[in-house]
Amino acid sequence: MNSFQEVFIRYRELMEIAVYGVAILLILIGLYAVLTKKHLVKVVIGLSIMDAGVNLLFVGVGYITNHTAPIFSPGYEDAADKMVDPVPQALVLTAIVIGFAVTALALSLVIRLYRHHKTANIEQLNSLRW
Amino acid sequence: MVISPVHYIVAPLAAAFLIPLLNKLYDDAARVVPGIVLGYLVVVSAVLVPQVLHNGPITEIIAGWRPPFGINLVMTPFSAILALLVSFMAFVIWLYGFRFRRTLKGGVVMYYEILQMMMTAGALGIILTGDLFNMFVFVEIAGITAISLAAFYRDRDGAEAGFKYMLLGSLASVFLLLGILLLYTQTHSLNMAQIAERMPAVAQGVKIMALIFLLVSLGIEAEMFPLNSWAPDAYSQAPSPTSAAFAAVLGVAAVYALARVSYTLFDAQSVSMFLMVMGFLTMFFAETAAIAQTDLKRMLAYSSMGQMGLVMVALGIGNETALFGALFLIINHAVIKALLFMTGSYFIYNNNSKRLVALNGIHKRLPYVSFLFSLGALAIIGFPPFSGFWSKFYILSGAAKRELLPLIIGILAITIVEMTYYLRVIGRIYFGKEETEPASHKPSINALVAMTSLAVIIVVLGLYPDLISGYLHKASMFLLDKQAYIQNVLSVK
Repeated sequence: MNSFQEVFIRYRELMEIAVYGVAILLILIGLYAVLTKKHLVKVVIGLSIMDAGVNLLFVGVGYITNHTAPIFSPGYEDAADKMVDPVPQALVLTAIVIGFAVTALALSLVIRLYRHHKTANIEQLNSLRW
Repeated sequence: MVISPVHYIVAPLAAAFLIPLLNKLYDDAARVVPGIVLGYLVVVSAVLVPQVLHNGPITEIIAGWRPPFGINLVMTPFSAILALLVSFMAFVIWLYGFRFRRTLKGGVVMYYEILQMMMTAGALGIILTGDLFNMFVFVEIAGITAISLAAFYRDRDGAEAGFKYMLLGSLASVFLLLGILLLYTQTHSLNMAQIAERMPAVAQGVKIMALIFLLVSLGIEAEMFPLNSWAPDAYSQAPSPTSAAFAAVLGVAAVYALARVSYTLFDAQSVSMFLMVMGFLTMFFAETAAIAQTDLKRMLAYSSMGQMGLVMVALGIGNETALFGALFLIINHAVIKALLFMTGSYFIYNNNSKRLVALNGIHKRLPYVSFLFSLGALAIIGFPPFSGFWSKFYILSGAAKRELLPLIIGILAITIVEMTYYLRVIGRIYFGKEETEPASHKPSINALVAMTSLAVIIVVLGLYPDLISGYLHKASMFLLDKQAYIQNVLSVK
């Protein structure tokens, strides 16, 4: 085994962990935007970044190195043990659709808020107090 | 056609999607169809609940995939009683709102009905599903429709309430997904029974993290203390029948999810302290905030949060007596709070003001509605002849069995707080200085029937709690028996 191969394997190992790291980073970036941004649209963007992070985490968890897509096609009739986990992928599809619906609803609420208050700054929306 | 638990979810969802079509054929379809569907669900419950209580839980296989693989519905005695409660309350709320909504113009009624039906479907789904991810989907259905309903009126601050709910709801969904993901990586299953079966093998650290994620997300939906700022806004900005539905439909489902997760998926012992402390804090802050309210609906919303807190405390105490009390309180809260919102909205409707000051002497204008409101207020505090007394009594005696003296004192002290603000409102209604103005909006007949039937339930359950206590005992015993749940689901052929 030469050093190039070793570096390559290290790189592969790192990449497997990196998926989780990136996903969690995305969730944190989204959370940061939701908590600190003043503009409503930016808050909504933060929400969808957070969703994307969770979805990526799901796909990353289901992925197994060197395995194929979970589809039984010609040439792959009995490759069940060489496929990645299909369940998280199915879940992600559902989660993406739900995330889309939530984003659409959030944006429509932002439009409503903007028309009602003539501002999109979250600090100036205070007609409902504690 | 055989009656099965699937109808609980299919019927309201199908109705919700068919309403726009039917409305084209017949003008009033949007108002009539939900009543037919919800009435049918009450009939379904009347058939299924005795069956479940006598013969044990029904596990419904969907699309031919046996439990560990496919999605399945589980109707345990606990969920059966709550399903009956939710469908009955949804029906009563529909009845109440049947003519009230003439005040809305044109197609708006249709949107209201669609959203309300979908919220009911989501809540019933949460109660009946045996699959964790499926529960997430139903939580989202119920949540998104609840947000839309909170933002229903354009001319109120509904959008703001909706946006607040949306922010917390999105956090809830992210946390719920993370919790499900953690459990999936450890147990390789989404079926709640199978997860529960494999749970002992899961590492302690992962378990705790998953528990935190699930409790935080479900806590947001169940109005747990630091995460419940959405509730008073959503309750107060939504249309009145929806406020009642938030308490009687959405709240029931949220508390059920919390109970199912902490009792079946995890160990009840491990969450006991957390639920007791958070539930107590929820009660404390909600009831003290309720005193400071000047707006009737917000006051009722805070009181709602307080009741939710008490349910959490009872779930935390976790012995059979307290669980019995918790289940009784869920039923009481759904019935009584719905009655309070229904009667309260007639006060608001007549005064064109939500403020408590406007209630002065209103009993002369709306004598019967005032009477029902006072009855509800006394019942929710827990005055002896009404049903609210029994739930509080059993929760306290459950606490006494575990010798939790500080908790008992705390609950009783908070009851005094609760008493203060409800009696203050009753005082305003009966002894406040009146303004002589005839009632412009007398309650319609259907609303009267709805409100009276709820009041009758409160009084009858208060005088004869034995009518249902046998069933509730069975249900709470079953919630405690984790192994029975696992076996029932996994042994289905």
